[in-house]
Amino acid sequence: MSGKSGSVVIEFRDVGLYLGGKEITQNVEFNVRKGEFVCVIGASGCGKTTLLRLVSGLYQPTTGSVHVDGKKVDGPSRDVAIVFQDYSRALLPWRTAAGNVSLALEAIGMPRAERADRIHALLGKVGLAQHAAKYPSQLSGGMQQRLQIARSLAQGASILLMDEPFGALDAMTRQSLQDEVLELAADTGATVLFVTHDLEEALYLGDRVVALYSNPGRIARIVDIPLTRPRNQLSTREEPDFLHLRRELFGLMEEIHA
Amino acid sequence: MRRGFNFPGLAFLQGLVGLALFVWVWHLIVASGAVPRAFLPSPEATWNAFVRGVTIGDMREQLLGTVLRMINGWLLASLVGIALGSAIGISETLRNYLRPTLAFARALPASAVVPVAIALVGLTPGMVLGVIVFGSIWPTLLATVQGFAMVDPRLVEVSRALHLSRFDFIWKIGLPNAVPDIITGMRLSLTVALILAIVGEMLAGQEGLGKAILLAARMFRAPDLYAGIVLLGLVGLVSSYGLLLVERRVARWRR
Ligand SMILES: Nc1ncnc2c1ncn2[C@@H]1O[C@H](COP(=O)(O)OP(=O)(O)OP(=O)(O)O)[C@@H](O)[C@H]1O
Ligand SMILES: [Mg+2]
Repeated sequence: MSGKSGSVVIEFRDVGLYLGGKEITQNVEFNVRKGEFVCVIGASGCGKTTLLRLVSGLYQPTTGSVHVDGKKVDGPSRDVAIVFQDYSRALLPWRTAAGNVSLALEAIGMPRAERADRIHALLGKVGLAQHAAKYPSQLSGGMQQRLQIARSLAQGASILLMDEPFGALDAMTRQSLQDEVLELAADTGATVLFVTHDLEEALYLGDRVVALYSNPGRIARIVDIPLTRPRNQLSTREEPDFLHLRRELFGLMEEIHA
Repeated sequence: MRRGFNFPGLAFLQGLVGLALFVWVWHLIVASGAVPRAFLPSPEATWNAFVRGVTIGDMREQLLGTVLRMINGWLLASLVGIALGSAIGISETLRNYLRPTLAFARALPASAVVPVAIALVGLTPGMVLGVIVFGSIWPTLLATVQGFAMVDPRLVEVSRALHLSRFDFIWKIGLPNAVPDIITGMRLSLTVALILAIVGEMLAGQEGLGKAILLAARMFRAPDLYAGIVLLGLVGLVSSYGLLLVERRVARWRR
């Protein structure tokens, strides 16, 4: 019952990281299988973003190694797309929504003639078809985050890293975006590593939840989420398993914060 | 952010009133007879000389000469400034190496290099162009360096994650990020280019408004002299305002 049974695509092999003489990450070891949706939770500053940077090749581990598709990560790969935590800084303010999606298509060398259709399809997928000509500054936070998701999809990566993508959004927007992301993941069969500090969000989305201790960041627990899919904002959150896991993880988080 | 732009009509009117006051004070000073007319003609005499100059006189050709000289020098300075600025701005190491040198070169008034340029290439049109380029390149060059240095680190990560080539990074992230700074720099460069075009004409005797006002001064034709000055002021005003419009248009993604 532990998530999907596909091949391993992300491997943390006893990963340790020092930055500026400080130990940020310690002995991190876990795998993510193909098509799996794994959530990472932990207190602010515990090293969640750092884990994503290690997978995306933006950071190199000090000890141990990170492997993607069996290959040791030594730099960014086109097969790994990342949705950054601070969406307003991750979009090109001088490009329209369509232009921002186009950047990823240009990066993979898609001919100009094919781009327009693809951009339209991608913006449609995240509900931004009507806003193609707007600049990021003219979009709400939720729309900017959707745009970042569309750009990451444009890359055509099979691994999607998402860093608290809904952290700054209101509850309603957040729930509808959660369902959109689940749908996109199911549609594309992508493997998702999703960072959040919201325990319920992690339970609702994930096949597994990795909980981290702080200072330095290390794994506290890895919990399987045996909830059926597709998930539903009302019924899933009322399932006995959900409530049970919520209580368990809540206890764990209290312990972590203590 | 900029309050004044809420009432562009009002600001324009205020500008006109200020201008009218200036002309009126000018008129009063001349009328009082405190300054000899050979040094300060009346606004009317200046206006008449101006109209005569642009209708039956040579002022149109002179204007064209000066404006072309200014624009050629400025375009060349902009091109070189943006290219050099991009090359320097893209690399933090290079920036650190060159910062003091750039600050030093920028502090040199362009007129200080005129003797050097004359010694090297003589009083040729090429020398004048070179001096215009050298003097007016700095605002654009430094603004470009600055614009590149200020790229958000997150966008650097985005471009790394997307595997953008170095060229694509410059062309699609670095330059657009620097564009508002670059245009501001180019606006300042244009002002310097105009000044140097005039100085260059005076020194090298090239046909233009600079030479014309110098001759008018030598021949004590005060109204012609002032008409030339007014026209030069207009060139500065129009070009700088035009670039301000471009600046606002280009940076419309900035709130
Ligand atoms: N470049 C760096 N140099 C030194 N320390 C860093 C660097 N980047 C991150 N850190 C430190 O690493 C720790 C983990 O940072 P990280 O951004 O991964 O936390 P996080 O769990 O994502 O936090 P949040 O929930 O607030 O986003 C923090 O203590 C942070 O100060
Ligand atoms: Mg973070």
